Amino acid sequence: MGGLASPILLYAACVIGALGIALALPRRGVSPQIIGALVAALGLGVLFVAMGVRSPGALPNVNFYIFSIVALGAAVRVISHPRPVYSALYFILTIIASSGLYVLLAAEFMAFALIIVYAGAILITYLFVLMLATESPTADQVEALNDYDRYAREPVLASITGFVLIAAMTAMMFGGVNSRSLPIVTTYAGAQRLELLPKKIESSLREARLIDKDESIARDPATGQYLIDLFPKPGTDAATHVPSVMIGYGDGRTRAIGPSTPGWPKDLVLSNVEGVGFTLLADHPGAIEIAGVVLLMAMLGATVLARKKVELDEREKLAAQTRSLAGEFEPEKSLLRAPEVAGGPTTRDAPTRSLGEAARGFLGAGGQR
Amino acid sequence: MSDLMSTLAQANFPSPMAPATLAHYLAVSGIMFGLGLIGFITRRNLIIMFLCTELMFQAAGIALIAFSRYHMNHTGETFVIFVLTIAAAEAALALALVVLLFRRKESLDAGRWSEMRG
Amino acid sequence: MQTELLQLVSTLGSALLAAPEAGHAAHGTAQGSAHAAAAVPGMGAMGQWALLVPFMPLLGCVLVGLCAIGKVRSKLPAWITIGCLAVSFAAAVAMLMQTMHGNAGQGQTSIVKAWDWINLSFSSKGDMTGTAAALTQSLTANFSFYIDTLTCLWMLFVTGLAAVIALYASEYMSHDVGPGYIRFFAAFNLFVFSMACLVMGDNLVLLFLGWEGVGLCSYLLIGYFYKKAPAVAAAKKAFIVNRIGDLGLSIGIMLIFVVFGTVEYSKLFAIIQSGVLPTGETLRDHWVVWVAPLLLTVGAFGKSAQIFFYVWLPDAMEGPTPVSALIHAATMVTAGVFLIGRMYPLFTADPHLVALTVVAWSGVITAFWAATIEMAIFDIKRVMGYSTISQLGFMFAGLGLLTPTGAAFHTFTHAFFKATLFLGVGAVMHGFGGQLDLRRLSGVMWMKGFGLVGIAMLVGSINLAGVPFTAGYFSKDLILAQGFATPQGMIAGSQWIAWILLLTAGMTAYYTFRTYMRVYVGPKEFVPGNDAELVELGRHPKGTSLDTWHAQHGHGDHGHGDHGHGDHGHGGHGPADHGHGTDHRHAARYDFDPTTEEFDPHPPGAAMKGAILIAMVLSILAAGLYFYKPIHAAEHGGWVAGLVNTSAVAVSNPVVESARGGLLFGQDPHKLMYYVSAGVGFAGILIAAFLHGPKGLGGLFIGNRTRAATSRADVLVGLFGPLTKAARNKYYVDEIYHWLIVRPLNVLGHVFFLFDKLVVDGLVNLAGFAPRALGHAAKGQQSGVLHDYAVRMAVGVAAIVLIAMLLGSGGLS
Repeated sequence: MGGLASPILLYAACVIGALGIALALPRRGVSPQIIGALVAALGLGVLFVAMGVRSPGALPNVNFYIFSIVALGAAVRVISHPRPVYSALYFILTIIASSGLYVLLAAEFMAFALIIVYAGAILITYLFVLMLATESPTADQVEALNDYDRYAREPVLASITGFVLIAAMTAMMFGGVNSRSLPIVTTYAGAQRLELLPKKIESSLREARLIDKDESIARDPATGQYLIDLFPKPGTDAATHVPSVMIGYGDGRTRAIGPSTPGWPKDLVLSNVEGVGFTLLADHPGAIEIAGVVLLMAMLGATVLARKKVELDEREKLAAQTRSLAGEFEPEKSLLRAPEVAGGPTTRDAPTRSLGEAARGFLGAGGQR
Repeated sequence: MSDLMSTLAQANFPSPMAPATLAHYLAVSGIMFGLGLIGFITRRNLIIMFLCTELMFQAAGIALIAFSRYHMNHTGETFVIFVLTIAAAEAALALALVVLLFRRKESLDAGRWSEMRG
Repeated sequence: MQTELLQLVSTLGSALLAAPEAGHAAHGTAQGSAHAAAAVPGMGAMGQWALLVPFMPLLGCVLVGLCAIGKVRSKLPAWITIGCLAVSFAAAVAMLMQTMHGNAGQGQTSIVKAWDWINLSFSSKGDMTGTAAALTQSLTANFSFYIDTLTCLWMLFVTGLAAVIALYASEYMSHDVGPGYIRFFAAFNLFVFSMACLVMGDNLVLLFLGWEGVGLCSYLLIGYFYKKAPAVAAAKKAFIVNRIGDLGLSIGIMLIFVVFGTVEYSKLFAIIQSGVLPTGETLRDHWVVWVAPLLLTVGAFGKSAQIFFYVWLPDAMEGPTPVSALIHAATMVTAGVFLIGRMYPLFTADPHLVALTVVAWSGVITAFWAATIEMAIFDIKRVMGYSTISQLGFMFAGLGLLTPTGAAFHTFTHAFFKATLFLGVGAVMHGFGGQLDLRRLSGVMWMKGFGLVGIAMLVGSINLAGVPFTAGYFSKDLILAQGFATPQGMIAGSQWIAWILLLTAGMTAYYTFRTYMRVYVGPKEFVPGNDAELVELGRHPKGTSLDTWHAQHGHGDHGHGDHGHGDHGHGGHGPADHGHGTDHRHAARYDFDPTTEEFDPHPPGAAMKGAILIAMVLSILAAGLYFYKPIHAAEHGGWVAGLVNTSAVAVSNPVVESARGGLLFGQDPHKLMYYVSAGVGFAGILIAAFLHGPKGLGGLFIGNRTRAATSRADVLVGLFGPLTKAARNKYYVDEIYHWLIVRPLNVLGHVFFLFDKLVVDGLVNLAGFAPRALGHAAKGQQSGVLHDYAVRMAVGVAAIVLIAMLLGSGGLS
């Protein structure tokens, strides 16, 4: 790994990035968001180039950079887009890029779990609530952007804070954890759990034609345990261990095969899913139970909260009365809004319109994409 | 100030052309976390604020998976499963609360809620 | 009654014939042995039964207290008290017998321990340089009783008189049967117990306990009529003035402990005798030898009403008469005399006798001062009060003139005859509805039922005046003679002291018989006092107690008091004035005919008469003690001298013995004084008879008073003018004190109050204000807006991370 000319460059890049983000955040008047994005990208680029000048040696890890740049760019867009729905959608992009990073880290199960759970469930929930809570555009208002969405609060201070934090974190990181490559998968801890999957071993060996149709993995006649010994047991000498699997005909005769046998399948290792599964269930069973309880509580809590009747605040009540008295044209209101005051209740129990109608109303209007 | 500079000068930054090291992933995670923090502070829409917290969760997840890969065990991944679980639960409850808040004030503006003024 | 008189005369006659020879002979033979005794008598054994003397009254107090719980409404508390005190007296007599005859007839000292009280041991580190050894000091002050002959002498008359007066009080206070009665007798018992602790204690701390205890009981008893403002004020005054003296006493005790290392008498006297302090210095040259006695003297002044400190005693007459008789005539006020007597070895250890000089001069000034006031006062109870002050002055003078025998004897005799006088005055008050003005009473002796009272008053008066062959005559003579016997130079100005005392003796005789001849003899005349309604009813109206009756009628136990010629409510009583100037319900009546008018004087009942009789007889018998010499023949003073010289006071015998040799007109003072004082006394009596006596025998045939209100003395009032007025108003001492001391202290009190309110409270309030102010300043940060909080949090986290990075070891490795 090459070193940098001076780490000042990192901090300079952070400063430029901060500036760019500050500019990119939505603000009143002319919004130099494009400019902001460009400056931020410039900061990153400077970093990239400066670092790259030093050692033009080995192959670049392109995938990593693609995924990370997409992820970070989408993250920037999440925080700077004035329309909330678009923020959510960019977040989904971030999730996808992150899952790509997960795959690079050989955690394929988590990658897909991330997409299924996060993007597929949590973000959809967010989108629902966003749509229900956002005003739909009216006749004279093309862009129904709320005031609070349009302008960011204290962008400068926020950017400075954030980047100070990032600078500090990254500096600490690089101080302590540098130049460690990520090793190859086969030496994963818990890899010996493969021995607990006799069916998988058997099918894999069968596919590799090392076991005949009428053969199967031998079992210990006394205990019924499968005679699979692929990894040294703790306490025994690892050097003299010969990994082996006993194959038998079922009538006492056995033969041993092992990784040294020609034709041994190379992919007979504990896959990521199996490893995570074992870790989850064997090492942290209590946590699963607790997680279940937490989810139950969340479900109950959400149900209880959603049924609660909430009165309108004073100001809003007054506004609603004024509106009804003035008899102005009622725009399509958010489903979550309270109905007219005249004769009606001021609390809202449940939406009465279909979701489809609502959804159509929100995304149909123009605005920034 | 000078010794600060000298200590900082000793930092070893990874070369971009090398295979991605742990440090790279942590850097990504850190930057994403910072962005999430900025977004949380900056945005006024309640739901977007929560979305930024989710972004911070994401960043944490990346870091965890990277460490899990670094330490060669599945503990970090297991942790990320639980992070997902809790994030989901928290999202459900947070959104329910946001709905309640919305009903009261007819707006998602976080600035409207300032009755606890000192 | 006739036979009694005859017996009395015969006893006195024989005594008269025997006196000069006895005194003279004793003088010669006793000299040798008197010189030999210069040490504390040997230790002897005393049984634990001696503890009955102090603890029976305490038991009485507890039992009377139980009566309070049982809501007793009869005279049971009185009988309990009398019983307990009688037992205590019997034990005191037995104690005396044992002490006198112990140690092969030479008198013994014994220590009887009740229980461990204060028993501390501590060591102080030595010098820093290591030269002085670490001292281990111990403070031992146990509840033990030091019983020597002086103690026995004192306890004899304390318990005896207490029993007699309790008998008197059982009837006197009968108006108040109920809670008030119980309260009275409980305090009475507690008083006797405290006095016993004071007198019998074997260390200064127990003495101090008793000292404070008697002060407390005096407060409780003076303020018995607590609904009356003057009584309460008088009680407070007594306590506060005593307190000032107590300061001196306590500092003296502490000083003694620091220097001598002990507060116990036995050890203390041993050190004084050896003349060497524990630190190695000689006692004679150390400054403690005159500082400590002076401090103790200050304490004695407060309790024994000496000059400047006496102002509480006249006001203490607001209390019921038995209280005055017991406490302010016989027992409590003699505590100061006892203190000096007990610590006499320390007082005489001073080669210059500084403290004793102070004691002597204060005694004579007090005696003279009080006597002058008394010649002008009209309230007979107050006359008795000032008379006590004057006689206390005599006792102190006696102590100062190096005749502890004289002082002790005078205390002894004074206790009895003053008690008699007070009981008699109390009977008059009781019977005439609180009337005490001698211008409104006359010929009481001849009234039905008051004969015994009159005789008792006569006996008491002749004792007080010093008529030859009375007890008071002998005891006063010892003191008067000693004034001349003490060589010049031992006590500065002792000759002056002696002459002034002689003059005072004459004045004493005068005012005593002024009172007697105005009130008890002469034409029968009386004006009922303001409590007359009370007396008419025989008992107070059913259902009310004396307290409420008094409260309703706003009057107290002493009638009009001394108002002088029409100056009502004008500082007649100082700050304790109840200002009832125009509150006279009964106009003065100079022609009251007891046979036709409605008001009947209420003669004393059996209990009161019995008590008066006993006290009178005892005061007569006390004279015989002068001639009774069972042990250890002493020069003068008879039995009492023997007792005193075999007590711990004997340590100072070398000094006392050396105080003789002065001459009066070239003669031995003791022998001459018999005649000189007799002459002075008779002169006083004759003047009183001339000025105040009625026609006939009562006025010794030279008086011509026909009315109660006037007499020849009124002419003299005009002659002396302002002096008389001043004397009648007690020389305005109370007013002076008020302006000199009370007012400035009041102002000071206000100043401190303001200081407390502004500064101290201000500081405390500031402590309360500061957090509020801080909170107010910090309040602005709570904007209530979510983003602000979020930003602050983030900024905080960033700052912490930054600081951690910078402060950590390089932060980056």
